[in-house]
Amino acid sequence: MLLPLLALFFLPFSIAASVDADHAKLVQLAAKHSGVIKLDDSSYKLLTNPKRTWSSSVQFTALDKKRRCGPCKEFDPTWNAVAKAWAKVPAAERDNHFFATVDFDRAMTIFQQLGLQSAPVVQVWPAADGPRRPAHGRTNPITLDFSQGFDAAPLAEQLSHYTPAPIPYKAPFDYSRIASGAFLVLSFVAALRFVSPILKSRWTWAAITVLTSLIMTSGYMFVRIRGMPYTGPNGAWVAGGYQTQYGQEVQVVAMIYGTLAAGFLMLTLVVPRQLSPSRQRMQIYLWTGVIFVMYSVLVSLFKEKNRGYPFRLLL
Amino acid sequence: MPLAYSVPTDLSPATVVNATSLLRIVALALISGAAIASRLFAVVNFESIIHEFDPWFNYRATRVLASEGFYEFWNWFDPTAWYPLGRVVGGTIYPGLMATSGVIYNILHALNLPVDIRNICVLLAPGFSALTAWSTYMFTKEMKNESAGLLAAAFIGIVPGYISRSVAGSYDNEAIAIFLLMFTFFLWIKALKTGSALFGTLAALFYFYMVAAWGGYAFITNMIPLHAFALILMGRFSSRLYVAYSSWYAIGTLASMQVPFVGFQPVRTSEHMAALGVFGLLQIIAFSELVRAHVSSKQFQSLLYASVIGMGILGALGIVGLTYKGWIAPWTGRFYSLWDTGYAKKYIPIIASVSEHQPTAWPSFFMDLQLLIFLFPAGVVLCFRELRDEHVFVIIYAVVASYFAGVMVRLMLTLTPCVCVCAAVAFSSVLDTYIDPVEPEAVEEDAQTAGDGAVSASSTAVSTSSGSTTTTKKGKKAAPAAHAGPLDGLVSTVSAAVSSKKGEKARGIFGGDTRLAVILNALGMLLFFVLHCTYVTSSAYSSPSVVLASTNPDGSQHIIDDFREAYYWLRQNTPETAVVMSWWDYGYQIAGMADRPTLVDNNTWNNTHIATVGKAMSSSEEVAYPILRKHDVDYVLVIFGGLLGYSGDDINKFLWMVRIAQGVWPDEIQEPNYFTAKGEYRVDDEASATMKNSLMYKMSYYRFAELFGGNQAVDRVRGQQMPRIGPTLDYLDEAFTSENWIVRIYQVKKDDLLGRDLRTANAFEQGKKRKRSKPVARRKAIV
Repeated sequence: MLLPLLALFFLPFSIAASVDADHAKLVQLAAKHSGVIKLDDSSYKLLTNPKRTWSSSVQFTALDKKRRCGPCKEFDPTWNAVAKAWAKVPAAERDNHFFATVDFDRAMTIFQQLGLQSAPVVQVWPAADGPRRPAHGRTNPITLDFSQGFDAAPLAEQLSHYTPAPIPYKAPFDYSRIASGAFLVLSFVAALRFVSPILKSRWTWAAITVLTSLIMTSGYMFVRIRGMPYTGPNGAWVAGGYQTQYGQEVQVVAMIYGTLAAGFLMLTLVVPRQLSPSRQRMQIYLWTGVIFVMYSVLVSLFKEKNRGYPFRLLL
Repeated sequence: MPLAYSVPTDLSPATVVNATSLLRIVALALISGAAIASRLFAVVNFESIIHEFDPWFNYRATRVLASEGFYEFWNWFDPTAWYPLGRVVGGTIYPGLMATSGVIYNILHALNLPVDIRNICVLLAPGFSALTAWSTYMFTKEMKNESAGLLAAAFIGIVPGYISRSVAGSYDNEAIAIFLLMFTFFLWIKALKTGSALFGTLAALFYFYMVAAWGGYAFITNMIPLHAFALILMGRFSSRLYVAYSSWYAIGTLASMQVPFVGFQPVRTSEHMAALGVFGLLQIIAFSELVRAHVSSKQFQSLLYASVIGMGILGALGIVGLTYKGWIAPWTGRFYSLWDTGYAKKYIPIIASVSEHQPTAWPSFFMDLQLLIFLFPAGVVLCFRELRDEHVFVIIYAVVASYFAGVMVRLMLTLTPCVCVCAAVAFSSVLDTYIDPVEPEAVEEDAQTAGDGAVSASSTAVSTSSGSTTTTKKGKKAAPAAHAGPLDGLVSTVSAAVSSKKGEKARGIFGGDTRLAVILNALGMLLFFVLHCTYVTSSAYSSPSVVLASTNPDGSQHIIDDFREAYYWLRQNTPETAVVMSWWDYGYQIAGMADRPTLVDNNTWNNTHIATVGKAMSSSEEVAYPILRKHDVDYVLVIFGGLLGYSGDDINKFLWMVRIAQGVWPDEIQEPNYFTAKGEYRVDDEASATMKNSLMYKMSYYRFAELFGGNQAVDRVRGQQMPRIGPTLDYLDEAFTSENWIVRIYQVKKDDLLGRDLRTANAFEQGKKRKRSKPVARRKAIV
């Protein structure tokens, strides 16, 4: 009865010893780089030891300039911040979960092994052995999704599902923002005497109102919420399709709307004040022409977005 | 005074007045006719049918109201919705729409006109659009004059932005709500102008009607206080404002609390606190004005000011404190997501998943408003020019509504009336200027050029070139007001044009050809607008979405009626108590057309229940089966567009099901599992294993490949080639598939009579041998 148990106990002992040695190495590595292990091929093998009793979260990235990976650069600080937060956890728990980074240019083979084609990617490797082995027994890595963006707080929250203790991430207190905000308020108060005639003028407010409504009705919020780029590939600035648009379209469309509105205002408010008949006539024709041409441009731009639209003016 | 063209002079003023008022009435009648007629495309092209999803519930509720009376409707508990929970309908809806139809129904029947309740429901929205046109006329009349009012009425009558929500058959709350919105605003302006408590009370009553009709009443609840607050800040506090606001707020709030669905919200939630705060502020200011009128001491007045400000701050702190302590509920998610646009996606995926809650790209604005969208800023500037109290309202409305419309497609509806009013003001100003026959006296050409030196006739120089001495001075005075900005030049010239209003005679236009050019251009634009509206309405906004239309090669229309086919199949072939599970989009339609109990529907009040359905749809058969059985599900209904190319099907909505289920069971359902290794969303051979095993995938593609008779099966929505051997089902039986495969209904199998696992039973039937090595899984307990 006891014998098989004993055998079971001793059999993995030699392996366990090497696992422990690996673990000690990893703890050292982590301590050296303020919580994030920079992985190469050999340390990667250490980390993903099939008998590992620890879990880890790994960032796959390509930070080298020649890789031109914008999102990688954007995500890297977030990753380091979360890893730093994890380094504050008491050692008993901290040493059971590691944060690591694989850079494409340091360890291309790892990328190939895992069949990764894009970066950045975050994977969580659960423990494969020992008490922290997940109950369902699936020990292959879990890829996290970035559906909530590159912010640190949701990332920490997501990772906390897999770490032995929740990651104590707190958004850093943004002193510079507070300071600049306070500075702005103070300077505004100080300048109030000089600014107040501007603030009291209705035309300031008119400009603000008109600009706001122009920008809003040109799809600015769409671009912001969807995070649309300023232009498309190859410098195309009109996004094909009725339900989408690029950043530059906001400017162009707002400008067209603004010109057309200005044309109408000129015709109603300014032209009638012109006292010389010939000059007035010229202005009327000028603004009527501007309205007509701009309107044609607008319609043809709309036709570009909505191919089935049957109408057109000049263009 | 020279005239550009001759006008009859022998008309008495009374004749002119009478003729214009007659013309106005005729014009309004014609506008109403056009508004109603342009909404009937859906009835003409298809039939008199209720559209889309929510209207089906409203229609069902109205039928209950019409057949069983108001009290039955009020106390209606619907056990078939949200099975097994049920739904207290009377307390969870805005009853205004149903009550309106019910009243119309009863009046018509009292007059012995036996109109079917369905036709009343279908035609309610077009009917109310005529009333909207009228109320917009009244509102714009307060802003400018009758002619601008008529233009505004015509605009709102046919503008697609409003038609999209009020075609015949779209029997939804918005159908009557826009009329109520405009009319409440009109009454508020009227009350503010006259300082009459009568109009304030009327505004409160229509506000109550609005509260009873649409959740968007919160827009009024915040617009009116915002207007009042802006007026106070501008130093325009008056007893008129005090009377109008106090009567509106006191009566309107008490009345709105009578709607059971609203209840105590007006005093318990943050959305309503602005109204309460402004009400308090007005009382404080009115009191201080009263004291000031009676006390002369300077010190006392400054003391008074300090105490007024102190009281205001205390009140604000009080509201904040109450919110903090939980006495006042913080912003609800729906409302909050308007400000923090990332909020909904993170915390309330159900709201983010609805297509009408997406942000608006500019083509949508142009499609829905066309030329009005660029006349709108011009109208706003004209409002600034006069800046009476009511213009402040329109200006605030313009800013707020254009932001909201940018954030959510759906809120285009609240922007539309404002755009129509502003555009009408701008357009009628153009017409006023150029139709007016009076010509100014010309100034000598050479004197003019000598006066202001070498000034080109370019637009920016207009203000100076128009300048006799007074204008230039005023122009300079106004100059510092216009600080840096793209509209710099415009603002300064316009301000110069405006600020010389008095003291100088109004200017005019010379010659007939110039008049003709501008007016012809304007008329051409209006004509184009009409063409555009007709095109958009007939092509984009008149589809019932219950019935689809396609075009045959010869150009004739082919009707695809799969939805009704399937729903009527359910109605006629299943027991009345058979529970149907589907994604929540189709809950109201199943209840309305098939009359069967549903698990979830479009009233998305219970996120967990929806997530349960999402989990069942996105997990494998073995996992889903106990869920189905626990909820007594007899039939499962999926929408599949792969054969026809109908893109609004369940596979395209599937990721939302996954996401919503993941929100509740993050350990069991994970979104990345449904993507391929490359992160693509695919349904063909390369689809991930989780995807292929999910109930939704299996139900959608079950026997799909067989349809192609050995050829390569193609999913026409996703444009992917399907595997030759499709999925198999062990726990469900195909019960019905509609003509074009859009609706597929599966029956959930009962437990095996011999107590076997259904998969084993199936394998046995097909003659497959059971593997000896592995013991048979015991039948899973259902509880």
